[in-house]
Amino acid sequence: MALPAELFVHKNFEMEATIPKPSDALLSLMRADFTTQWRNRRAVIMSLLVPVIILISWKGLVDKFGGAFVLSISMTIGLTSIGLMGYAISIARDRDKGVFQRLRVTPVPTFFIMLSRLLVQLAMIILLILFVFIIGHNFDKITLSPAGYALTFITAFIGGALYLGLGQMIVGLVKNSETVNSTTRLVYIAFIVLGMFGELGLFGDKLKVIIHWSPFGTVKTILAASMEPLTWNSESSLALLATVVYAFAFSFFGIKWFKWNTGGA
Amino acid sequence: MSDHPGSSVLEVEGLNVFYGTFQAVRDVSFNVKSGEIFGLLGPNGAGKTSTLSSVEGLLKPRSGEVSVAGFNIRKQPLHARSCMGVQLQATSFQPELTLTEIIKLYAGIYGVPLAKEKLNTILQNIKLEEAANKKFGQLSGGQQQRVSLVIATIHDPVLVLLDEPTSGLDPQSRRQLWERIEAIRGKGHAVLLTTHSMEEAEAVCDRIAIIDHGRIIAIDTPQSLIDLHRNDPSVIGVSRKGKITLEDVFIGLTGRTVRS
Repeated sequence: MALPAELFVHKNFEMEATIPKPSDALLSLMRADFTTQWRNRRAVIMSLLVPVIILISWKGLVDKFGGAFVLSISMTIGLTSIGLMGYAISIARDRDKGVFQRLRVTPVPTFFIMLSRLLVQLAMIILLILFVFIIGHNFDKITLSPAGYALTFITAFIGGALYLGLGQMIVGLVKNSETVNSTTRLVYIAFIVLGMFGELGLFGDKLKVIIHWSPFGTVKTILAASMEPLTWNSESSLALLATVVYAFAFSFFGIKWFKWNTGGA
Repeated sequence: MSDHPGSSVLEVEGLNVFYGTFQAVRDVSFNVKSGEIFGLLGPNGAGKTSTLSSVEGLLKPRSGEVSVAGFNIRKQPLHARSCMGVQLQATSFQPELTLTEIIKLYAGIYGVPLAKEKLNTILQNIKLEEAANKKFGQLSGGQQQRVSLVIATIHDPVLVLLDEPTSGLDPQSRRQLWERIEAIRGKGHAVLLTTHSMEEAEAVCDRIAIIDHGRIIAIDTPQSLIDLHRNDPSVIGVSRKGKITLEDVFIGLTGRTVRS
């Protein structure tokens, strides 16, 4: 005789739950994010194009200002592009489309979703550094010491963290993806114009000092100093400290203000 | 995962959700048993999606408890989420990824081994073998819903949450989706769905809860609700065909006013 269904009722029982291995989940996320980045390779090329144009067009300035100056400006612009145009815009778009909400209802720790995105950007930063070094070497004949190459990798990661933090702060502050798009473009253009030409003193001495200690200037300073380690001085150390403080501040507010969806939930 | 017939897979107890000072969900309690399709019905802004979002763990309620298969969604979110499959109101996958890549992504996230044969079987089941390399945005609405459902159930969860799964679908696609939802019940799993369609609620739901202004105002089987409110003047007053339907009960209980 079949037993009545009530006998099988167990309120508050716990079923077996198989939580996937975190490494498997992270690998799946990374595979998808790298594929997405590959499919958006035109945007990747654009991120690399501006630094390359600077390297080529400023060839004549290498003798006047030094190779480190040209390389550092070029790399700073590239890092700005990755943080603002690459990271921030893609986060804003996917948030708008509900991609994050779909991922958040899976058994994946939430920070894995962002970690995967950041690892893609880290790969982009490595690509940018290599690109700038190779073009700088082959076209502008700029060669650094082994210590210079190694130190530049480290400071470029710190600088990259600043711009990713800035991108995070913009998507934290601005909810609408179209507005994020236009805001990041405006900031990017402002950085290029004020940063590049302000550093040359074209906008006067007062603005030159402001730009020198701005997020653009401090990153440029530590990159230039790390390319020629013997020139590293107390001002470079202060610029490094300022870069780290900027990176932490931008990331802190970016994470604090960030909403996973545009609806506010 | 194993589930016990007739046991509560989802327990919602005294749920209260606020957006600032606005209370979207008021003291909502219900449960969904294994082998049951439970419908959450309500006018626009009644609190259906807020309730569902709290169950999914996307919203933090001010008070109340949600447990999925015995796991508290706030205290053991990963355990709870591994027991549930979710189809959100807006289908939302990376637009650059192909159908195959999306399925592989979610199989990987849920730790489901996905050999080529299994992937082909999944695609055949949803009749999308030909679209394997198409991007999600290139699929029709019905095809997108089938993909969303297959991803929601890829890990064979004991609880499936569907937010307005058939909205915008043609009758054929809707019927097909109902059959798929019934097949989930057939496996002894529980389904919680929100819908605006009374026809859908009557056709597939074993029990329904009508929610209005954030509060559950009725909860029972569709037929019992009709029988219970058959002689209610507010229900008779809105009846159009001389025969009381679930829609009449719904409008009778929630009012004729159009919600934003």
